[in-house]
Amino acid sequence: MTHTATITLTVNGQRLTRTAGAHLTLLRWLRDLAGVTDPKYGCGEGVCGACAVLLDGEPVSACLVLAAQVDGAEVTTAAGLSGPGGIPGPLQEAFHACHAAQCGFCTPGMLVTAAALLADGRIRSRAEIRAGLHGNLCRCTGYGPIVDAVEAAQEARQARPDPRDHLGRAPAGHDAPRPRPAAGPERGR
Amino acid sequence: MFIRPFGYERAGSLADACEMLRERGEAAKVIAGGQSLLPMVNLGLVQPEVIIDISHAGRDDDGAAARGGGAVPGGAVPGGGRSGSDRAVAARSREIGGGDGYLTIGALVSHARLAGDPAVASAQPLLAAAAARIGNPRVRSRGTLGGSLAHSDPAAELPLAMVALGASYRVTDGRSARDVRAEEFHLSFLTSALAEDELVVSATVPALGPGWGWSFQEVARREGDFALAAVAVLVRMAGGIVAEARVAVGGAADRPLRLADVEAALAGASPGEIAGRAGPLRGLSPVSDISASAGHRAHLCAVLVRRALDEACRRSQEATA
Ligand code: FES
Ligand code: FES
Repeated sequence: MTHTATITLTVNGQRLTRTAGAHLTLLRWLRDLAGVTDPKYGCGEGVCGACAVLLDGEPVSACLVLAAQVDGAEVTTAAGLSGPGGIPGPLQEAFHACHAAQCGFCTPGMLVTAAALLADGRIRSRAEIRAGLHGNLCRCTGYGPIVDAVEAAQEARQARPDPRDHLGRAPAGHDAPRPRPAAGPERGR
Repeated sequence: MFIRPFGYERAGSLADACEMLRERGEAAKVIAGGQSLLPMVNLGLVQPEVIIDISHAGRDDDGAAARGGGAVPGGAVPGGGRSGSDRAVAARSREIGGGDGYLTIGALVSHARLAGDPAVASAQPLLAAAAARIGNPRVRSRGTLGGSLAHSDPAAELPLAMVALGASYRVTDGRSARDVRAEEFHLSFLTSALAEDELVVSATVPALGPGWGWSFQEVARREGDFALAAVAVLVRMAGGIVAEARVAVGGAADRPLRLADVEAALAGASPGEIAGRAGPLRGLSPVSDISASAGHRAHLCAVLVRRALDEACRRSQEATA
């Protein structure tokens, strides 16, 4: 039995090693030890989705995984969905264009969940997008703009097939400037 | 989330984990996907001294485990017997195998894999549909079959599907294995027939037979919540009438229940007679709790059973057409 654990994770492409209590969740490991603060702590029960990250490509609640269980894994947070040099990735741009964030607390989890939802490239109906996001709670937007953004992101990808994958990574050698995606629906000011 | 620190131990095999459970007794909790245990730990409802991680059991065998016998149909071994090597057990706990009209699913198979596996969808679509209804995508990525069965939540999808299908679970204490019928495994609220040092290895269900139709229905307050009521139904129509039916409800009692009286009443019914023969549901006295009254639950169960029978009959007729 061990009470401390030395864990190495590749977070958004960067290898990080930290030693800490073996009881720490992945969320606490990321936020408190590694300073990766885009996943948020909302409920600690797996119901709000604020802590969602991709673990080896699969969406998980970082609050419901022990870091010690996943030593060696690859973690992608919302920040990892951006393109080279930190420019917004396609989903992030769509969220921006559609005003899909108000306080922003749910946004990292929404982005990660949307990325996992759209990963297979299949075009989804609005109802399917809503169903795919049902495990992520938002107290501000009323969800409309978030669904708009996910729809806009998948439409943008379909209209102009993007060489980047859903994590915003361009294939090797491809770094041409990207046109901005179509703006989201106009909203009254 | 200020949880009391605990120790962590990674089990190399299920047998190792059983041994650790014997050593540490009540102070130890087993984790696989953690989707039931960690919410309770984070809320302080469970304060283990050590958590035994079985999610890597058999994984370091360099592929040997996977070759060790994952496709054993099993489940029909009366009285259990020796469990075979650790490797074979480990392989069985990670694999989806089938043959001879059976499907065997390892305890460490995630809900997402169960929901998306083409072999499961064709051999036993009811199981795939039940798995797809669990929680949210994050729960399905991590949550495991064995965890859901051992947790024995009366409103959980997989125990209900297993009871409807007449599944049998292989459980082990690391020294010998035994097979337990799903109906005898789920005893009451969060209570299973597992001994302190036993773990689920796999579950075996019969494949969907020719001419059978199925349906899985549930109602929850919010999508992804545990069901207020859930229903799993299988029907075989022959000559335009119900030849055989299996009806089970979840979320209504302290465990998933087969409704034998309803099944018997349905035999010989034509499609027009089904609703009348099914309800009001005999053999069901639902619980009242903070989420729904007994009366509301009874109503939901009756409605869902009717809907499920409709859908299952239609599928059965399509299958035989
Ligand atoms: S904090 Fe993890 S799901 Fe809410
Ligand atoms: S933007 Fe505030 S919770 Fe979603």
